[in-house]
Amino acid sequence: MRQYFAIAAFGLLTACARLDHVQIGEIDQSQGTLIPFNVQVSQFGFEAAAAAELGRAVSKGRTAEQFQQLRDILALMNMGPRTGNPVYDDEYANKVMDYIYAECPTGKMTGLTSVREAKAFGAVSGEIVRLSGYCIL
Amino acid sequence: MFKKLFVSIATCLSLSACVSLNSVSLTQIPVERDNSITATSHSWNFLGIAFSNDFVDEAILDLKSQCAEGKLEGILTKHQTTAYFLVLKREVIATGYCQQG
Repeated sequence: MRQYFAIAAFGLLTACARLDHVQIGEIDQSQGTLIPFNVQVSQFGFEAAAAAELGRAVSKGRTAEQFQQLRDILALMNMGPRTGNPVYDDEYANKVMDYIYAECPTGKMTGLTSVREAKAFGAVSGEIVRLSGYCIL
Repeated sequence: MFKKLFVSIATCLSLSACVSLNSVSLTQIPVERDNSITATSHSWNFLGIAFSNDFVDEAILDLKSQCAEGKLEGILTKHQTTAYFLVLKREVIATGYCQQG
């Protein structure tokens, strides 16, 4: 029982906001009134090796060993440079431009800021692309 | 005993204050680069546990306020993390050129 409490506490404590990339665009305040907008898309991210590690932590004996082997294999399979947890749809950020035009139909915008971030809960995470800016009226 | 502990802590503190540069971006640089402005926002967290990234927006608002009615170009944005002993400082530093009129 204590193990489950420890895992739950660990999961809650690791509900982290992760920040990967920030890019601030040019801000033109001389063209008119600026109306702020904010667009965000996200995708479910899953770290299989971390899930196997959780399995190892809650199991004992031979099962724990098998989870450990699985964890190592998964970690080796996903080795290499990457940003955040793997996702199952690599096109989830493609429609941000359509969403921005929906927020700012005139297309006159400034101060476009793009942020790549995530909300991580242990082995799972929400991999987020957030764009904010100002629509010029 | 106390001296050894003090030296160990001092060594840890001095060695762990390391900066890592997470991302850098730059927009078009203007010809006139007289009026340079800088905005910084940061967030402290313990053991790297952060619950929000809202501090990024503070830098944008600061930039806006420093170049009211003007055009801000050539913005260099840096996102960096400084690791101290058990504590991390996440920081966004934005530098640009304000064109008035």
